[in-house]
Amino acid sequence: MSQIAEAIGFNLIVISPTVALVITVLILLFFTITVETSLTVKKWITFLGILVTIFCVFLKFGLFLQNGISSYFTQKILLDEFSLFGNVLIAMILFLNFLPIWDTSSKLNEKTSEAIILILMSASGFFLMVDAENLIMLFIGLEIGSISLYALAGLNRSDKLSNEASLKYFLLGSLASCVLIYGVALVYVSYSVMSLYDFALVVAYTGPDIVPLTTFVGVLFIFVGLLFKIAAAPFQSWAPDVYQGSPTGYVGYMASIAKVASFIVIARMCMVSIAFILEDFQTFFFVVILLSVLIGSFFASVQSDLKRLIAYSGVVQSGFILSGITSGVNGTSASMFYLFAYILQLIGVFTIFSIISGKLSSNFEMDNIKGLIKNNRFLGISFCVFMFGLAGIPLTSGFVSKFILLTNLWAYEKYFLVSILLLSTVVGFYFYLRPIWIATIEKVDEPVETLLIKKSEYMLIGSLASLTILFGLLPDTLINISRWVVQNYL
Amino acid sequence: MIGLTYSFILLPIVNSLFILLIPKRRAELFRPLTIFLSLIPLGLCLYVFLNQDLKTSFYVVDKFSWISAYGIDLIIGLSGMSFLLVTLNCLLVLLSILSLNENHSFSKGFLSSLMLLQASVNGVFLAGDLISLFIFFEALLIPMYFLMGIWGGENRRYATIKFILYTVFGSIFILAGTIYTGVLSYLSLGNFALDFDSISALSITSSQSKILFLLFTFGFLIKVPIFPLHTWLPDAHVEAPTAGSILLAGVLLKVGAYGILRVSIPFFTEGFIEYQFLIGTLSVVGIIYGAVVAIVQIDIKKLIAYSSISHMGFVMLGISAGRYLSLEGAVIQMINHGITSGALFMLVGFLYERRHTRRISDFGGLKKSMPIYAGIFLFTSFASIGLPGLNGFVGEFMILMGSFPTFNVLSSIAAFGVVLAAIYMLWAYQRMFNGELTHEDNKNVLDLNSKEIVSVAPLLLLMLFIGLYPSFIESYVVQDVSVIYESINKSLGLSK
Repeated sequence: MSQIAEAIGFNLIVISPTVALVITVLILLFFTITVETSLTVKKWITFLGILVTIFCVFLKFGLFLQNGISSYFTQKILLDEFSLFGNVLIAMILFLNFLPIWDTSSKLNEKTSEAIILILMSASGFFLMVDAENLIMLFIGLEIGSISLYALAGLNRSDKLSNEASLKYFLLGSLASCVLIYGVALVYVSYSVMSLYDFALVVAYTGPDIVPLTTFVGVLFIFVGLLFKIAAAPFQSWAPDVYQGSPTGYVGYMASIAKVASFIVIARMCMVSIAFILEDFQTFFFVVILLSVLIGSFFASVQSDLKRLIAYSGVVQSGFILSGITSGVNGTSASMFYLFAYILQLIGVFTIFSIISGKLSSNFEMDNIKGLIKNNRFLGISFCVFMFGLAGIPLTSGFVSKFILLTNLWAYEKYFLVSILLLSTVVGFYFYLRPIWIATIEKVDEPVETLLIKKSEYMLIGSLASLTILFGLLPDTLINISRWVVQNYL
Repeated sequence: MIGLTYSFILLPIVNSLFILLIPKRRAELFRPLTIFLSLIPLGLCLYVFLNQDLKTSFYVVDKFSWISAYGIDLIIGLSGMSFLLVTLNCLLVLLSILSLNENHSFSKGFLSSLMLLQASVNGVFLAGDLISLFIFFEALLIPMYFLMGIWGGENRRYATIKFILYTVFGSIFILAGTIYTGVLSYLSLGNFALDFDSISALSITSSQSKILFLLFTFGFLIKVPIFPLHTWLPDAHVEAPTAGSILLAGVLLKVGAYGILRVSIPFFTEGFIEYQFLIGTLSVVGIIYGAVVAIVQIDIKKLIAYSSISHMGFVMLGISAGRYLSLEGAVIQMINHGITSGALFMLVGFLYERRHTRRISDFGGLKKSMPIYAGIFLFTSFASIGLPGLNGFVGEFMILMGSFPTFNVLSSIAAFGVVLAAIYMLWAYQRMFNGELTHEDNKNVLDLNSKEIVSVAPLLLLMLFIGLYPSFIESYVVQDVSVIYESINKSLGLSK
C-alpha cells in the first residue's frame, strides 16, 4: 500500500490546507444542521479552522525544504515556490478578512453559517487552484472557488443590487469558465498533455516554431478565462457591478482572493508552460494591458460610487501586475511584490468601507465618507494611507512596487508600456485623491457623530496601514521573498 | 556628524508627530511649543555651521541599503549649497509659524503638516541619490495637499488639484529618468546604483544624455516654474494659506532649480549644452511675461506670485547660460528670492488678516495708518526690485553679467525685467500706501505688532546683510558651482 502511495505521490500534507478547510466546513455543517449551537462557538470553530489552515501552509514549507519542487497525486498537485507563495497569500487573505467576514455574516441571521461555509469552501478551491499542475485540477479549483463567490455576492437576498451582482457574476463567470475549459480541451487535443510542465516539455521537444494553431487558441482561451477573474479589460465589465452590489464586508475577500489565485496561475503558466512561446502572446497581453490601463483609468475618474471606483482602479492595477508577469523573470518577481502590497491595501480599504457603511449595504456613495477624519481620526488617517498606497505615493509600498516594476519593464526595453503606465499614475493621482479630499478636507455641515469601532478592528486596520508604510520604507525583505519565488527561473 | 545630518529630516517628522500627540484642550500650548520645536533644527544648522567645514562640494555623509537585491542605497549628503537651502527652509518654517494668526496656530494638523513639509524639503536638498531625491520630491506633495486643501482660500480645490497634477505630471518624467539611469548603470555596473558618484562615473552616450537631460529637466522645470508650464503657480500661491505661500515661494520653487543644478547639468551635460539656448529663451520669456502680467494684477498676492515667475526666470537664465558667474548668481538669487518673496507673502498675509481683502484698489494711503508696515513693505519691495545695497541686486547683477557672453541678446532683453520689476512693485506700492485714505476701513487699521515685526525682522536683516556682504554666501556655493562649471567646460572641450 505504501509503495503504491509513494508511486502515485500520495501525500496529504500537500493538500492539507484544503483538507483543513473542508473539515472545518463539515464541523460547521454538523453544528448547524444537527446540533444547534451559539454563534460564539461557531466563530471559534471558524477561527480555529483558519489557524489550522495557516499551520498546514507552514507544513507545506517543511515538505518543500525536504523535497524541493515536486509533484504529487500523479502529477495533479504541484509544490513549487509559486504555489507556496499563493498559499501564504490565500491564508493571509482568509486570516485578515476573518473579522469583516464574520461581522457581515452575523448580520445575516439564519444564513450566518451558510456564508461562512461558502467562504471557507471558496478558499479551499483557490488553494487547489494555485497548487494545480494538471489543467483539469486547475479548472476544478477555480470552479469550487468561483461558485462559492457567485453565491456570496447574492447572499443579501433582500437587496436588489446584490441579486443583480450575483446573477451577473454567475452568468459572466460561467461563460469565462466555459472558455477556459474549452481552451484546456484544445490544448489536450493538440498535445495530449494536461500537465503544465509536460506542456513545456512537449513544446521544447517539438520546437516552438511548429506549435499547432489549436494550441495557441487553447492557451489563449485559458488566459481569457483567467484574465476574467482578475478583471483585466476587456473582461472587466462584471467587476464594478459585482463590487457595488455585493455585501460590502465580503468584497475585500472576493476581490483579493480571486485575483491572487489567478495571478499566481498566470505567472506560473508564463514562467513554465508557455515560456518558449511567450513571445507569440506578447501582442495579446500588450493589448490587454493597454486596455486595462486606459479603460480602468478613464472610468475610475468618473465614478461617484466608491466601490465602483476601487473596482475600476483594480482594473488598472491588474494591468500593472500583468505587465510584469508577462515580461520575464524579474518582472514576475516585481509583480509578486506588487500583488502582495496591493492585496494589503485592497483589504484595508474594503474593511474601512464595511465599517462605515454597515456590513450588508451595497451602494457606497462618495458622500458616505464625508467628514471621515472628524468622525474617527484613526479611520481617516488609515484611509489616506491606503489611498496614497494605491496611488503610489512615495513612503508607501505602492511606490516601491510601481518603481521596481517599471524599472524591470524599462530593462526589458518596453518603453511604450512604461510611458503608458506612468501616465496612468497621473490619472491615478486624480481619482485616488478625490476620495481623500472628501474624507478629510470637504467641509461637513451636519453635526459630527463619532464612529465607534472595535478594538480588533483597530488592530486589523492599524496593522494593514503600518504594513503599507513599512513596506514602503523597508521593502528589502519582501523584495527578497518575491525574488525567491522566481529563483529557479533567474 | 552622521546623526546630525539625518536629524534635519528626522527631527521635523518627530516634531510633527509630537504636536499631533498633544491633547486638543491644551490648545494654548501649540504655538509656543511648535516655535520651540522648530527652533531645534535651526539650532542644528547653527551647530553644523560652526563645527563643520561647509565650503565644499557635495559629499556623502551616510548610506542606507534600501533594496539590496537591486543594489539601491538611500544616501544622504551635504554641501555648501544644500546647507544654505536647508537653513533657509528651517528659518522660513520658524518665521512662518511665528507669523501665524490665531486661527491657524490652534490647529494641530496645520502645524504638523508644516513640519512634514520641512522634513521632505530638507530631504530633497540633502538627498545623495536619485531615488531619495525623487521620494522626497514627491512626498512633499502630501503635506502641501492638506495645507492648501484644508486651510486654503475660496477656490482651493481647483488650485490644489492643479498643483498636485502638474507636479505629478512632472515627476513621472523624473521617475522615468531615474529608471532609465538605473538601467544604464545596471548595464555597466551590474546593479541599479543610483547614487551621484556612480552616475557621474557612468559613460553615457550623447543621445542618451540628451534624453535623460530632457526627462529630468522637464520635471524640474514644472516645479521652478518656467514660462509655458507656470500656470499652476498663481493659483497655488493665491489659494494657499500665508504660511503655505511663504514656503511655496521661499523653498518649494527652489527644489526644481536645485534639481537641475544637482542632477540635470552635472550628469547630463551634453544634453544641457544641446538645450541651453531653449531654456535660456524660455526663461527670458518668463522674466518679461511674469513682469508684464504682474503689472496689470489687481490682487497684490497674485502680483507677487507673477513676480516670482519673473524672478525664477532670472535663476533659470543664470543656470542655462552655464557660465561660472551666472551659475553663482543663480544660486545666490535662489536664496535671495526665498528671503524676499517669503517676506512679501508674509506682509501680504498680515494685511489680509486685518482687512480680509487683497485687492490693490481697496487700499490707498495706508502709509498714514500703518507707517511701520509701509516702511517694511517698501524696504522689501526694493530688495525684490534689486536696489543696489540689498540682496536682490547681487544675484540679478551676477546673472545678467555672467550670462551676457553666452546669450548677448537674451540677457540684454532680460535686463528690462529689472525695470519692469520696478514698475510693478513701486506702482503697487504707490497705489496701496501713498495718497489719501480713501476707504473708511483703512483708517483704523492697526499697525504691525511686535510679534509680527519679530517674525519679519530676520528676513529684513538678511536682505541687508547679503546686499552688503554677498561674498559670505558666495563662499558657500563656490565649490558646488565649480563642480557644475567644470563638468560643462569638460563637455564643451570634448565636443570641440
